[in-house]
Amino acid sequence: MNTHPQYDEDFELYELGVLDGTDKAELEAHLEGCPECRARLEAARSRVALFALGAPAVEPPPGARDRVLEAFRAQGPKHREAPVSERRSRWNPAWGWAWAAACLVLLVAAVWLARQNHRLSRKVAELELSQKQLDASRRNLQAAAARAQAVLDVLNGPQTVQVDLSPASAKPLPHGKAFYNRGRGLLFYAANLGPLPSARIYELWLIPTEGKPVDIGIFNTDTQGNGQVILPSLPQGLTAKAFAVTIEPAGGVPAPTGPMVLVGPVS
Amino acid sequence: MDPMSGREPNLQDSDEALIRRMLRGEEVALGILYDRYGGRVYSVAKRILQDNGAAEEILQDIFHQLWRNAANFDSGRGALGSWLLVMARNRSIDRLRRRMPAATDEVAATLHKPGPDIESAAARNEMAERVRAALQALPEAQREAMELAYFEGLTQSEIAQRTGDPLGTVKTRLRTALASLRAEFGE
Repeated sequence: MNTHPQYDEDFELYELGVLDGTDKAELEAHLEGCPECRARLEAARSRVALFALGAPAVEPPPGARDRVLEAFRAQGPKHREAPVSERRSRWNPAWGWAWAAACLVLLVAAVWLARQNHRLSRKVAELELSQKQLDASRRNLQAAAARAQAVLDVLNGPQTVQVDLSPASAKPLPHGKAFYNRGRGLLFYAANLGPLPSARIYELWLIPTEGKPVDIGIFNTDTQGNGQVILPSLPQGLTAKAFAVTIEPAGGVPAPTGPMVLVGPVS
Repeated sequence: MDPMSGREPNLQDSDEALIRRMLRGEEVALGILYDRYGGRVYSVAKRILQDNGAAEEILQDIFHQLWRNAANFDSGRGALGSWLLVMARNRSIDRLRRRMPAATDEVAATLHKPGPDIESAAARNEMAERVRAALQALPEAQREAMELAYFEGLTQSEIAQRTGDPLGTVKTRLRTALASLRAEFGE
C-alpha cells in the first residue's frame, strides 16, 4: 500500500532530474529512511528510462561494435578494471606502469572527492531544510505563547469588567433556580418572568415522587421579572422530584390550573 | 562456448544468461547484448549530445560499465534494458553539462528493479513506438518541457528560464505530462 502519497509525483520528477532546491532535498531526506519509497523510486526510474526510446533510432558508426569487443578482449575476463579504448602506447612499459599508477591515484582521489562533495552538498541541503523547519516551528510557538499571555492579561487585569451579552432582539428567557434541602428547606429565585395579567399571580409547586403537586407558595415579580420564595414551609414526609411554576388566579389555588412557565427536575 | 551447456550463446538467450556468459569471458555473449541494446544506447547519446564521436564514447563507456558492474547486477527480466538506458541518458547529460559522473555511479550500483521487458527486438520496437506516440500525444508545451528535461537535463527552474514561462507553469506541465505517461505505461 502506498503510505506516502505526497511523494507520488516526485519520484519521476526526481529521476528526470528536474527537481531542485528544497523539493529535492526533502525527497532525498525522506528516501534515506523509507525503503518503500526507495522501491517506488526504482519503479519510477524504470518508467523514466523508457523515454530514451523516444529518441530517433540512429545506427552506431561502423566499427563501434568491434571497438567494444576489442576493449573487452583486451582487458581479459579476469581483469576488467579500466576501459582500454585508448590507442596502444609505444612507451617503455615501466613508464606506462608509473603513469597508470599515478592515474589510478588521481582517479581514486577524484572519485573520492566527488563523492564527498556530493554527500556534503546533500547534507547541507538537508540541514538548511531542517533549519528552516525549526525556525518556522519556533516562530509558531512564540506567536502562540504571546497570544496565550495576552488572554491571561485581559482575564486577570484589575480594570477588567465582565459583560454578559445576549441576542439583541430576543427577550431574555425566564429561568428559575431552586436550592432544595429536604431536611432544611427551600430557596427559590426566578428571573425574566413576564408581567402578569391582572388578578393573576405566580405559584410555586413541589411535585413529589408520588402523588399530586403541592402548593409551596405564591410570588409576584418586580419590574425586571425577578421573584423569590424563601424558606417556605414544606409538606412533611414528601420528597420532591421536581419544582414548577404556574400562573394562577390571585391568592393561589390548591392544585395547578394555569399554564406552566417553569419546571425543573431534582437531580 | 558455455562449459555448462556445451553450446554457443545465441540470440534467444535471456539477458541474464548472456550476462553470466559474458562474465565468464565469452565475447559472443557481449556481442549479442551489444546487438540488442547498442543501437538504443547510441541513439539516446546522439540525441542528447548531437555529436557522433561523443555519442560513441558514451556507447563505449556504457558497455565498459556493463562488464565492470555486471557481477553485482540483479538481472531480473527487463532490468538490463532499463539500466543501460538510464546510464546512457545520465552519462550523456553529465557530459553535456560537464558534470562529474558521481550521481550515475550510484545508479550503477543501485538499479535492481526489473523494468518493462524489452529483451526482444519486437518488444523494443513496439515499446519505442508507444513511447513516441505517447510523447506526440502530449500538448506541445508539455512535450517541449519533457524534452528539455529528459534530453537536455534542465531542471524545472532552468526550463522556466529557457522558455520564459513562470516556474509554476513549468512544474504543472511536467507533472501533467508525467501523469499522462504514467497512465499510459502503468505504475
